[in-house]
Amino acid sequence: MESLDLGRLTENMLAQHRRSERNEKIFGIFRALGPFVGLIALWWGVHAIFDPSPTKLVAPDKVVDAFFESVGEGVLPAYILQSLQRLGFGVIIGVVVGIPVGWLLGLDKEIAKAAEPTLRFFNAVSGIAWLPLLVTWFGFTERTISSIIIYTMIFPVVFNTMVGVRTVPPVLRDAARSMGASWPRIIKDVYVPGSFPSVMTGLRLGIGFGWRALIAGEFVVGGGGLGFFIFDARTAGVIERVMLGMIVLGVLWLMIDRLILRPVEEYTATKWGMVRQ
Amino acid sequence: MTALAPVGARQTIWDRVKVVLVPAIPFLLILAVWASVRTIYDHPISVLPRIIDVIEVPFREERYWSNVRASIWRLVLGFTVAATTGIFVGLIAGLSRRVAQTLNPLVTAMNAISGIAWIPLAIAWLGVGTSMVVFIIWNAAFFLIFGNTMLGVRLTPQILEESLLTLGANRWDVIRQVVFPGALPYIMSGLRAGLGFGWRAVIAAELVGATSGLGQWIFEQQEFARADNIVAGALTIGVIGLLMDRVLLAPLERRTIERWGLVESSA
Repeated sequence: MESLDLGRLTENMLAQHRRSERNEKIFGIFRALGPFVGLIALWWGVHAIFDPSPTKLVAPDKVVDAFFESVGEGVLPAYILQSLQRLGFGVIIGVVVGIPVGWLLGLDKEIAKAAEPTLRFFNAVSGIAWLPLLVTWFGFTERTISSIIIYTMIFPVVFNTMVGVRTVPPVLRDAARSMGASWPRIIKDVYVPGSFPSVMTGLRLGIGFGWRALIAGEFVVGGGGLGFFIFDARTAGVIERVMLGMIVLGVLWLMIDRLILRPVEEYTATKWGMVRQ
Repeated sequence: MTALAPVGARQTIWDRVKVVLVPAIPFLLILAVWASVRTIYDHPISVLPRIIDVIEVPFREERYWSNVRASIWRLVLGFTVAATTGIFVGLIAGLSRRVAQTLNPLVTAMNAISGIAWIPLAIAWLGVGTSMVVFIIWNAAFFLIFGNTMLGVRLTPQILEESLLTLGANRWDVIRQVVFPGALPYIMSGLRAGLGFGWRAVIAAELVGATSGLGQWIFEQQEFARADNIVAGALTIGVIGLLMDRVLLAPLERRTIERWGLVESSA
């Protein structure tokens, strides 16, 4: 009886399983796209029925045209690059300043007690509120935009780093010390890996807030960037570019978040995260 | 015991003083640096105002209070609409697993296009003014509240619902007694985050698209190079945001979680 060939049977089952998994994946993509198809249909319907002025709403195909047009002109790629550069610069400063400060607060309870309320207060004064003051100081310049990004992202980074360092169980530190580890060694092998998942969470939050601050900064300051692209298109009354800019903004953020930040955060959490209990 | 009591009491008084004094140190330090920089360099008011000038603003500037009122009023308006629509739609969508799953990607996408990004489009649609700002607040808060409510409903244990149905309850009883209280902690987190984002959105929207309000006022003061008014305005924005969160929402959230949260007894 050939049907009892176990090897082939398992192979068949595996293939079937793989197929159903692939189907599930494809189905999942369709399911995720479903509501957007509905939204675009609604958009098209509203546009067809009400026929609004082209400075208020255009049909979705106009937005697609605008995409190819502005990519062809090279405006959109250049502005996207500019926004990403600004964000990247802010992130670097945020990491260089925020993580050490968070470490200091995490390691020393007395300093943390003294500094926390001040930090919480300035965290509550959103970066956007400082925009006018920054403009009087630095004018409509790159420095204004960088300042608002750094200011906005530094607080989540500091707080989460602090929490991460603080929640490293003292027993691990004591265990390392009782086995004769030096302080640098304890920091390197206990605190850095122990606090890493929380630091990553802080970075992800901080970059998210920084991204919003960047858009607001580019609205006000101008001088290129995606925020400027949207705002400028509004002033010129080209609504398809406004909507295009918004969509690019959302897609870009989802890509940064889902393809870079979340995987890195999850990786650190599974590699170094402490499973409770 | 009796001999030790006074020592303990004295310690608590000192501790209490310390609890207030120590956190004040960084604030005082900032003020000291500010005052000394101001005295040494004597910057014009457009760059660095005197501390006393900033403190005087609420008493000196007539337009300060009307603008504070305008901003808060817009926040109340937009947030009320966002909270009612968000909770209502979230509850309904959460009741069906399929609807919730279908709508989830949309919520994610809408949260990615943050409230602030809608400002130019909202200006094109509604013009400059209160209705635009209210729309932006609604936009910033709605999807957070909606998403959280939906999540809360979905995470309510099915067994509670089923046990009530076995006892002869109807759909409405289940919603009132299980779904809503079960989702309440999530709803509260959504409301709290929504109010925070909403307040930031008010300021951003007013900055570029309003004729009144705190955001517009500080932006206008920038044209007159009045840093004293700008700093007072920015600090006011922070204080209002902090008060709303700490006095109103954080205690409310804590109490909801204590009362209705599904805390696993860990003792």
